[in-house]
Amino acid sequence: MTQPHEVEILLVEDNPSDAELTLRALKQRNLANQVFVCHDGAEALEFFFGDGSHALREIGVVPKVILLDLKLPKVDGLEVLRRLKEEDRTKRIPVVVLTSRPEEPDIARAYRLGANSYIVKPVDFEAFARAVSDVGLYWLLLNHPPR
Amino acid sequence: MIRLPWNWSIERKLPLFFSALLLAVVLVMLGAAYQQVRYAALLLAAERVQRLTKVYVDLLPRGATTQRTQTATLAADPGVREFVTSGGRRGRDWVLAAMRRIAHDTAPNLAIEVWDSEGQRLFLRGDTTLRSDAAPALPSDSALVSPYRVRHDTLLSYEVQAAVRQATEGRVIGRVVQIRRVNLSKQARETLTGIAGGDVSLLIGNADGEPWTDLERIVPGPPAEARVGRVPTSYERGGTKFGLAAPIPGTPWMFMTELSRQQLLAPSLAYLRRMALIAAAIVLVGALGAWWVSRRITTPLHRLTTAAAAIASGDLAQRVDVPGTDEMARLGSSFNVMAGEVKKSRESLEGQVAERTQALRASEARLRSVTETAHDAIIAADGDGNISYWNPGAAHMFGYAEGDVLGRPLTMLMPERYQEDHRRGIQRYLETAEPRVLGRTVELHGRRKDGAEFPLELSLAAARSEAGISFTGVIRDITERKRIEQALKETNAELEAFSYSVSHDLRAPLRAIHGFARILLEDHGTQLEPEGKRVLGVIDENTRRMGQLIDDLLSFSRLGRKELETARVDMTELVRTIAEEVRRGAGDRPLDITIGPLPPARGDRDMLRQAVMNLLDNAAKFTRRRTPAQIEVGHRADGPETVYYVKDNGAGFDPRYAGKLFGVFQRLHRAEEFEGTGVGLAIVQRIVLRHGGRVWAEGQLDAGATFFFTLRGADA
Repeated sequence: MTQPHEVEILLVEDNPSDAELTLRALKQRNLANQVFVCHDGAEALEFFFGDGSHALREIGVVPKVILLDLKLPKVDGLEVLRRLKEEDRTKRIPVVVLTSRPEEPDIARAYRLGANSYIVKPVDFEAFARAVSDVGLYWLLLNHPPR
Repeated sequence: MIRLPWNWSIERKLPLFFSALLLAVVLVMLGAAYQQVRYAALLLAAERVQRLTKVYVDLLPRGATTQRTQTATLAADPGVREFVTSGGRRGRDWVLAAMRRIAHDTAPNLAIEVWDSEGQRLFLRGDTTLRSDAAPALPSDSALVSPYRVRHDTLLSYEVQAAVRQATEGRVIGRVVQIRRVNLSKQARETLTGIAGGDVSLLIGNADGEPWTDLERIVPGPPAEARVGRVPTSYERGGTKFGLAAPIPGTPWMFMTELSRQQLLAPSLAYLRRMALIAAAIVLVGALGAWWVSRRITTPLHRLTTAAAAIASGDLAQRVDVPGTDEMARLGSSFNVMAGEVKKSRESLEGQVAERTQALRASEARLRSVTETAHDAIIAADGDGNISYWNPGAAHMFGYAEGDVLGRPLTMLMPERYQEDHRRGIQRYLETAEPRVLGRTVELHGRRKDGAEFPLELSLAAARSEAGISFTGVIRDITERKRIEQALKETNAELEAFSYSVSHDLRAPLRAIHGFARILLEDHGTQLEPEGKRVLGVIDENTRRMGQLIDDLLSFSRLGRKELETARVDMTELVRTIAEEVRRGAGDRPLDITIGPLPPARGDRDMLRQAVMNLLDNAAKFTRRRTPAQIEVGHRADGPETVYYVKDNGAGFDPRYAGKLFGVFQRLHRAEEFEGTGVGLAIVQRIVLRHGGRVWAEGQLDAGATFFFTLRGADA
């Protein structure tokens, strides 16, 4: 179904526990095959716009969906979002904001910058797993991006 | 045209008009009476001259008739005929004798002539001054009396002649002329007029003209129109005369009785003079009477006028004295009553004025002490925006003394950037009377004398009066408040940032604990003892509760920051919708929720929704052990506010702890009985307080609870 080295999901998450739980949730729906994790904003920008030093940086590798935490070390999640949506090459990639802060100003800013979804991470693991896997399922399998 | 002096006083007008009226009446009567008297006098005179004329005309022809007979007799005498026939040569003596027979008595005034048919005077005897100058015209066959003639200027004479005829044939051969001198003397006149009376003139003259005589001397005759006769007439003959002429039969003479018109009318004129005197007396008495009457009317009026003027100038004790019982007296007493009333009301008014003035002074003193001691600046300005009042607080705040600012524009107290707005604001208010700043408190900046700006709070009021519009402003220096507000804002922002961080940072590890506990149970559950599984369950339960707690805390703190977006809220519809959700949340357990018609409120819909949701959730939770579970939502009016309530028949609470119900994390029930974080009612209280309302609760343990909250009406 997927080609080798094809990154389907890019998860930008600094908290390793959240990253692991996210991956586990995606795995339960068999969506974890091609997930790549960036641990801060700088690394995410490097992935897309870097000089090639990134391990998996290859021309043509474009994830089908980006799961983006907002509170990130080095470069803030909103800044990453802004850069992604500015570039022609990356602006069509759906970005799902995953955050712990259910704050109206953040939500409004994220959508203004072009976020495609905004998910508040629940404390409850079952609810969290359900939210993450639903989002992955939707953007990977149900949504048809423009060609 | 004479302009009548209508503006004269009645005192002058009344006698004047009355006298004028009286004079007119008297004059008319006088004129009529005089006409009557005059007419009567003339009538009497006419009768008199007619009578006299008739008497004299009957009397006078007798002499002439005798003379004519004498002359005819003489002419028919045969001796005289003989004398003429002989050409005067024969019979002279005869003639003399015959002549003597007829003229013995009148010799001195008489001349007798005999003429022949050839015009030769044959005989002349008697007064030769009467002698004819030429042969007289041939007379007819009968004896004839001639008109009067004036001879030698003063002599008046006439002739009587008769023809001498031939005895057989009757042919006229000569004539006899008797020339008679009229006897003119005072005595003659008096003799004749003695019969008629001294005032009458008697005239004799020729019917066809001059000469005429009054029997004393030759006088000018009456004019031709007076000689017509028949009726007495007036005419001019050396004065206006009244008389009647009549011809004397057998002669060419006329007789006239004449009265002087002046003399004739003298008695009427005398009568008129007497009457005029009486009339003048009547008018005078009338005028005096009218003057007296008018005085009687105007004197009280004068007194009233004087008294009214005295009252008008302040002498309220003034009274008038008008004796009697007539209209004037009644007017006077009415005036006195009125003056008394005026005095009374004036005194009462003065009392009131004094009282009010006293009160006003006291109020002014109070107000002054307030404005003088106020820390706030109190400044008044006129419609042009110039300062008209400046209290010590203002002097202290702005640094200007009162004398520096009075009469100067308000803009001197403002930074440049407000000045244009201020001028436009005043202009707009003066044009539209539509207040924008008036009645509200606005925050602006002021400028002190040293140029320093400071924040201020201004309350502005406008007052319109006859003197124009004036503005009064109370200004408070809010420098300190602004500083505290700023500090508070910064502290709040810090707190907010802190709570965000906490929420974020607490949630992530909590999620990890929960998540990994689940993983442990799912992946390694088979290796665990039942006790191990129970412990994992406890971890799971507590992390869930902690998550809920954090979420509730976050939404509670969010309420403090969120701006109120007020609008009209249909409370009935809002409560119905929420009740539906709560019923769904209760699952199979039946909830009996009664919702009365609720008046709309004004508020933030989302917040009100959350408050109502919390109250209904609460009610649903605490009625869990009741069958049926009854919840009632209703309202009652309380002035401009509406009191809404949510009543249940649930577990209730101990009223001793009612005050603790709305505190954060305050719980009156154990967690095993009713779950909850103790934040729900705190959120309700916070929402209601932010809407300016109140919230409270009533209840008894195991006897239900009622939660009340107030909101302003939708129209407020």
